[in-house]
Amino acid sequence: MRCFAFHLMPWDRLPADFATKYESAWTWLPNAIYDPQHGHTLYNRYLDELCLADELGFDGVCVNEHHQNAYGTMPSPNLMAAILARQTKRVKIAVIGNALPLYNPPTRVAEEFAMIDVISGGRLIAGLVVGGGPEYYSFTINPTHARTMFAEAMDLVLRAWTEPGPFEHYGEYWKLKYVNPWPRPLQQPHPPVWIPGAGSKETIELVAARRFGYMGIPYFHIDFFQRNFDMFRDCAAKSGYEASPYQLGWLCPIYVAPTDEQAWAEYEPHLWYFAKQLLKGLVVLPPGYTSARSIVGIHTALSKFLSTVETRKQIEEGAYAIVGSPATVKQKLLEYGQRLGVGNLLGLFQLGTLPGDLTRKNMQLFAREVMPALQSVEHASLPQLVS
Amino acid sequence: MPNTSFLTISGKKSQLTVGGSGPPLLYLHSAGGETDWMPFHEKLAKHFTVYLPAHPGFADSQGLDQIRDIADYAWHYVDLLAELKLSRVPVVGFSLGAWTAVELAILRPALVSKLVLVDAAGLRLPDAPMAELFIDDLAKLRRLLFKDPNDPSVPLALPKGLEDSRILQWLKAREATARVGWNPYLHNPRLPQHLRRIECPTLVLWGRHDRLIPLAHGEYYAEHIPGARLEVLDCGHMLPFEKTDEFVERTMAFLA
Repeated sequence: MRCFAFHLMPWDRLPADFATKYESAWTWLPNAIYDPQHGHTLYNRYLDELCLADELGFDGVCVNEHHQNAYGTMPSPNLMAAILARQTKRVKIAVIGNALPLYNPPTRVAEEFAMIDVISGGRLIAGLVVGGGPEYYSFTINPTHARTMFAEAMDLVLRAWTEPGPFEHYGEYWKLKYVNPWPRPLQQPHPPVWIPGAGSKETIELVAARRFGYMGIPYFHIDFFQRNFDMFRDCAAKSGYEASPYQLGWLCPIYVAPTDEQAWAEYEPHLWYFAKQLLKGLVVLPPGYTSARSIVGIHTALSKFLSTVETRKQIEEGAYAIVGSPATVKQKLLEYGQRLGVGNLLGLFQLGTLPGDLTRKNMQLFAREVMPALQSVEHASLPQLVS
Repeated sequence: MPNTSFLTISGKKSQLTVGGSGPPLLYLHSAGGETDWMPFHEKLAKHFTVYLPAHPGFADSQGLDQIRDIADYAWHYVDLLAELKLSRVPVVGFSLGAWTAVELAILRPALVSKLVLVDAAGLRLPDAPMAELFIDDLAKLRRLLFKDPNDPSVPLALPKGLEDSRILQWLKAREATARVGWNPYLHNPRLPQHLRRIECPTLVLWGRHDRLIPLAHGEYYAEHIPGARLEVLDCGHMLPFEKTDEFVERTMAFLA
């Protein structure tokens, strides 16, 4: 199993009256709360934590895109990936991903990803996403076009990488007379494509059919991941191949300390800050963003979402976060990894208000005492990419 | 009893409910999707043959993928009236439906004999912004839409929650509304310059306590549509629900 360090780059200083005064950490949370001076410290600290992952022998690092929120202050993950392309030496750099409908024209994504791939020597994993519900409020993009815009943009980006330019793109949303991006990606025919999803059948079918990687969106009960990954394998089988575990990624908060009790004592306040404050407003489903039936389904699944969890026992039962001594964490990750059949573990080693010293200790202990056992689990070969 | 059937309008399967007797009247429904026969439809049907179509994407009307903006809704009604062989009909529109009616009256003045606009969307007034309609919290919506959030007509207009059997219909209505009203938000920036083209007598009805679309929008419509008259009622946005009798009486008096 390959081990990635995922960073959300959260805002760790919400006002004391946040819980009562604000309904969401997203979209409408006044940006006066953002303190640029503290942001300077945070960005640099967070980048250092990802560079540490490179030194510690992680297989990769992950960044992602969110706008106008305290949950993840990374509106441009490509800027972060560009820095990491220079400051890391060996890790894969997974940008999960660029929210395609937010790029106009989306050939911008083909260009920037190709730049990162070329600079990093072919270490990019290219994540393509529809964008979260809140983004459709923040960018005032019509959510009833989310899926069709994404589909057109994805095809355009892949074409831009694989088809000799210049060529004309004449789509529903974009009309481009000369598509001919420089540079082209270093990895051929194109960087691996990962697509995150919250369990919608439409996304799983698409990713499986195109033999891309499917990353399960976190904070749901472990059973929900199981259902989605099983569905993915079924869809792959219907597309005539056996899914590789390396096509699947499990994103999960992880905290390791010398003992179970110490781990929980150090981690819990930060986990609750994350679950109760930063997640507030994350799952917003604007009209038409997904089908009416899916909206009802996701609202139902939300009854088992991390933000509704109240006790440590529930966290452990649902594997919303893996917390404990190296032995505990190793045993759980091996067991769940095998059960889920995933070849990529995307660990969130920093969460909410978790400070720098604890984050580094967490990563160091994980890398020394947990990761080798996970990395020694070999899976069947990587899936063949088709373009 | 009203009768619901389906027509094919330029390839789109379209739900149409017709009830009552007398001369024809076209009712264009709001974002809430009051496509079931409501008390105010019944009262209007005592004097008119009421045509109550569901806009594409609402109820069992299909073809939302062919709709890009409010003009496509207006064209849909150009086609629907042609299919019904109707012209010079009075059009009563509520909120989203009133906006559609305005666009229709601009596009094809000859199709509309009289216009009743109830708490109409369609305009952007920087000093009187519309509130956010695209929120999921039904309790908040109730406070936004009704003068009294405990108005007895609330259960008729809004689903109670996820377990309500009308929830899928409600979510589809939201989707269709977003399709034409997400951006620009529930308005057409070029509408004001065309209001002068409306040729028919127009009655503008508004709830004084409309918190979704402030009364200033009603005043603007009344001022800029030639000869239009504004009448203000003591209610919120959901005027036909909150003031059913007055709505019907004033509409009848105007159309008589």
